Amino acid sequence: MSPGTQNKRGKKYLDALRVKFGAGVILEETYQTPEQLTITVDRNDLPEVVAELYYSHHGWLSSMVGNDERNINGYFALYYVVSMEGNKNPQDNLWVTVRTLIPENDPQFPSVTPRVPAAVWYEREVRDMFGLEPVGIPDARRLVLPDDWPDNLYPLRKDAMDYRYRPEPVEEKYDFIEVEGEGIVEVPLGPLHITSDEPGHFRLFVDGEHIVDADYRLFYVHRGVEKMAENRMDYDQVNFLAERICGICGYTHSVAYAAAVENANGIEVPLRAQYIRTILLEVERLHSHLLNIGLVAHLVGFDSGFMHLFRVREKAMRMAEILTGGRKTYGMNLIGGVRRDILREEREQILQLIRELRSELDELLDILINTPNFTMRTRCVGQLEREVARDFSPVGPNMRGSGYARDNRADHPFGAYERVPWEVISKDGCDVLSRVLVRVEELYQSFHIIERCLLEMPPGPILVEGFSYKPYTYALGATEAPRGENVHWVMTGDNQKLYRWRARAATYNNWPSLRYMFRGNTISDAPLIVASIDPCYSCTERVTVVDVRKRKTKSISYKELENYCRERKYSPLKL
Amino acid sequence: MFKLLKKALQVGEATVEYPFKPLEVSPGFRGKPVYNFEQCIACGACALACPANAITIECNLDEGIKSWNIFYGRCIFCGRCEEVCPTGAITLSPEFELAATTKEDLCCRADFRLVRCRSCGEFFAPAKELEYILANLENIGLPETAVATTRQLLEVCPQCKRRRGTDAAIKSLYWSGNHKQGRK
Ligand code: SF4
Ligand code: SF4
Repeated sequence: MSPGTQNKRGKKYLDALRVKFGAGVILEETYQTPEQLTITVDRNDLPEVVAELYYSHHGWLSSMVGNDERNINGYFALYYVVSMEGNKNPQDNLWVTVRTLIPENDPQFPSVTPRVPAAVWYEREVRDMFGLEPVGIPDARRLVLPDDWPDNLYPLRKDAMDYRYRPEPVEEKYDFIEVEGEGIVEVPLGPLHITSDEPGHFRLFVDGEHIVDADYRLFYVHRGVEKMAENRMDYDQVNFLAERICGICGYTHSVAYAAAVENANGIEVPLRAQYIRTILLEVERLHSHLLNIGLVAHLVGFDSGFMHLFRVREKAMRMAEILTGGRKTYGMNLIGGVRRDILREEREQILQLIRELRSELDELLDILINTPNFTMRTRCVGQLEREVARDFSPVGPNMRGSGYARDNRADHPFGAYERVPWEVISKDGCDVLSRVLVRVEELYQSFHIIERCLLEMPPGPILVEGFSYKPYTYALGATEAPRGENVHWVMTGDNQKLYRWRARAATYNNWPSLRYMFRGNTISDAPLIVASIDPCYSCTERVTVVDVRKRKTKSISYKELENYCRERKYSPLKL
Repeated sequence: MFKLLKKALQVGEATVEYPFKPLEVSPGFRGKPVYNFEQCIACGACALACPANAITIECNLDEGIKSWNIFYGRCIFCGRCEEVCPTGAITLSPEFELAATTKEDLCCRADFRLVRCRSCGEFFAPAKELEYILANLENIGLPETAVATTRQLLEVCPQCKRRRGTDAAIKSLYWSGNHKQGRK
């Protein structure tokens, strides 16, 4: 993936843009790596250019980064990262980042959201963090900052505040959407979430038992890791912080972060290190998918299945312990490679564990899938329609359960994924069942990838040292976490620190479309639907029930709702 | 259902008796970092590398003490300290039972004596660190005659060294200037 080894890609997109909008539309084009292209456009052209790439050339919105570059060039900058994929030859896939500069004295830009709905969360976030106003955005509420945060204090502006500063709380306000109509009830769910015991406030608008619409407020556990990394840590230490973004798919964040810095500095990671990273990424997928399938079993009331899946999951945890010395946080990455090699006896142990896992799973999954209650409760529940998916760029099994075979491992290959054969799994039921089945089949793919990697791993060094850290270079790093792609964007600073780090976790792209997945289902399915996107609250992050007919609101405790989800008896709404 | 029952019988007990029986961890498990005062030379490399700021170094220049602190409450068991330590004074153990009833029990502190600078008399470096460097130099074959001079050099603080360097440079400039003038 290093620059110069391959031809630069994406000429056809550039040509198409020039034909459509005139030769002058692209003010500047730069390549970070052969498959990462950044084009600068005028801010007034921004919505059109992004929409053109998104809808006319099969692009997907992978991330958007705001950056305070006033110290460098006097402007704020926005980077819309569009993943151009779906080419017949994966060598033609690339990331096109659309960059635009915003002057300090006029901090606003035309919103892309009316054209591309997937941009909504990103633009709300950039307004919170940098005070850049997306003009024309349909949903202008706060997203990440807490409700008691003062206006006009934008934490990620370089001159805003010290990272240790805690502003005085101001009066809280958050306007949930209001759904008016005959017989609609508001059901609050939260502030602690069902299934994951994490904070998130959901408001379900119900008519009787049926959900008409939903709204949610997340980010109660926003930890400001980006600000902390920029202020306090040096670039090598951030690997360990990145790993703590998520308690389940932490390693993928660490790899994505490392890859971003490596790409920005042109560091070539030794092949053996890439194989080791790939193996660990798949070990992480095993434990994460087993956890989620277990949770779904629990939520449909099949608790013994849940217990058994968790028993089996222990083997995946054991693998991590053998390979890395940690059961969950692996701490294996440094910029330029990994810290620990895989020895022969470790390899044998892992291969043995995989054999055991395979046969155990064969039996267990057979029982699970053939449990009538299981399929009954998951089929046609939480439909993510294909059109909605197209508009919101969801990722991971959530997306692959709706018939789109989007998988970052195949679309933008990294590590050893190009070197071992495996398949992208997709199902087109668009429901909870499809998502579960995608995960199930992916487990088998992971077994296969791990085995092949262990057997074919080339000898050699596992870490490069002695590279130079180039200030003010930027690039992307992306991996496919168990819940979808994680995209990190990094701009290096000049003091062994980062100038800007944007970590976009998979769930961030999955939340905005959840609203549509709720519609038409019953309340007892709500926890299941949320669980099926395998959400991660710290990556992002309260539920209220409103009776539209009786005009009453009611809060339901976690236990009540969870019980109702499992038993489908004693509805908490009727009491 | 019947199949599941069979499976459950076949598997038997899946839980372990922990905490009533010890729990085995795999070799290479990263648990509590154990500190060995004897070996530590207070160089501070671990404090620099520690991503979580669990290890910190404080200097008291009035009393001539450099203290090394670890707060296990912050430690993330990454093992960076072990990796960078030149003397192997800190290593990650298999121990994972770290719960404590008071915060203080999670702290560990070690004090080191600093030596005074031969030139300005200020405290500056830990005596142990200097001894370690000297011993190493001797090990790699520094002749005995040079040891004493090296020691003298080492016992001068960086500021004084810098000052001496500048003085020497000025002198040599002056000298060469004079020399040129003389030649004229
Ligand atoms: S293990 Fe890591 S976090 Fe703990 S003291 Fe060592 S360097 Fe710091
Ligand atoms: S790196 Fe080793 S020798 Fe240096 S201060 Fe830390 S523990 Fe002591």
